[in-house]
Amino acid sequence: MGTSITTWENVSAYFTFADSPMALVLFSIGVAGIVVGLIGSIMKHEKEAFKNHK
Amino acid sequence: MATETTLESLQAALDAQQAVFNMHQAMNVEVFYWWCTAIMVMIHAGFLAYEMGASRSKNALAAGVKNILALAVIIPTFYLFGWWIYNAFPAGIIPAEASGALPWSTSMGPDVQDMGSGIFWAAFALFGATTGSILSGAVIERIRVSAFLILAILLGSAIWILAGAWGWHPDGWMLTKFGYHDVGASGVVHAIAGFFTLGVLINLGPRVGKYVNGVAQQIKAHNLPMTLIGLMMIIFGFFGFLGGCIIFNGGDTGWTTIYNTPTNLSAFAFNTLMGFAGGVIGCYIATRDPFWTMSGGLVGIISVAAGLDLYDPGLAFIIAICMSFVAVGSAKFLEKMGIDDAVGAVGVHGITGFIAVILVGVFAGGTPNVGGNPDITLYGQTVCAIVIAILGFVPGYLVSLVLKKLDMLRVPANVEDLGLDEVEILAHPYPETVPSSTAKS
Repeated sequence: MGTSITTWENVSAYFTFADSPMALVLFSIGVAGIVVGLIGSIMKHEKEAFKNHK
Repeated sequence: MATETTLESLQAALDAQQAVFNMHQAMNVEVFYWWCTAIMVMIHAGFLAYEMGASRSKNALAAGVKNILALAVIIPTFYLFGWWIYNAFPAGIIPAEASGALPWSTSMGPDVQDMGSGIFWAAFALFGATTGSILSGAVIERIRVSAFLILAILLGSAIWILAGAWGWHPDGWMLTKFGYHDVGASGVVHAIAGFFTLGVLINLGPRVGKYVNGVAQQIKAHNLPMTLIGLMMIIFGFFGFLGGCIIFNGGDTGWTTIYNTPTNLSAFAFNTLMGFAGGVIGCYIATRDPFWTMSGGLVGIISVAAGLDLYDPGLAFIIAICMSFVAVGSAKFLEKMGIDDAVGAVGVHGITGFIAVILVGVFAGGTPNVGGNPDITLYGQTVCAIVIAILGFVPGYLVSLVLKKLDMLRVPANVEDLGLDEVEILAHPYPETVPSSTAKS
């Protein structure tokens, strides 16, 4: 009674790949790539849409 | 022996109760900011309705999609670098060690010992998204979505949070050098977003038809009622926003401002509502216009937000009324100068936020800070307001200028004429109204 769970499986940060810094960096790069890719895809869509309505 | 046993068991019971109390207090902190963040989402629902309503029907969905995407790109980019900027740059432009705020840090994910990082990150991410939405409304009906998203990421995940690091961080140089006071973010959110927007608008140019022979024309909103409802939703969301601006401390400290000075939600409640009411009344008197009357609620709250913890409610009411005339007047002035700000964002957020920061120096100059920081002064508030205006304006102007030079900022004139929904969006907002000759399928 009166104690909160402060570790789980002997670690506090308990999530996928938390023990693999390289994986976390790769996921971060992936997130950045998706945002850049989204803007790139919007640019492409705009270019095509504008061309179709000249 | 029996007495010692009794004392030990009492101490153990007390320790257990203390642990329960501490755990629940930490949970209460999380719960408070969780709901502040949720309520802040209403700001974006409001901006969505407001911008779609303010657009002409041919651009309604494009305005909405642009707004939704802004929220969606600011969240991940704020995760990638926004939170790190806040933690790394309180001292200026030389980054301090803040590796715990980098996206590959284990602090930036679920942690059973950390009941703060995620919830504060979320609140700040939503503050950032608000700055993006402030920009979004002003540039409707002619900006390219791609250009807008680049600018929204810059503003919402970098520029405003740099101002936040300077003026909203316990070690921020504007606080430690000038005693800066801006508890409700009049400066670090509203002014910076307004001046960034001004920089963008200069390069973006007015909508086709806005000026005839140099005289400004009124481009009417296609759905003014939706715009008014959207504005009221933003007011609702403001309570989450301003709640997120106060610090819910553990221990026996209670509420403090972000500067660790004492305050409470009651102070915020008095002045938020009095500011809202004053702003509505002021803008109604100034214009008799429904759009501006409702926008007055925003003007009123922003005009007193910097000093929510310090103002007499009557003073807040009067400030809000006076600032309504300033906001309306500045919007009209900018319009005369050829700046087509579709929703008056520069006046409502930029000019109002800028002056709101200075007014804290006028009315609350001499109020002490804690932790050895200088007292609040008119000089300090004015200097910091100018810094914020420059920090907002310069990147907004320069980056939009580059986009303009690359022909990436604005849609072609014929597309603007046809309407963005027809060209870019694969749906019509009101399909039953599309003439059969142009309706597809």
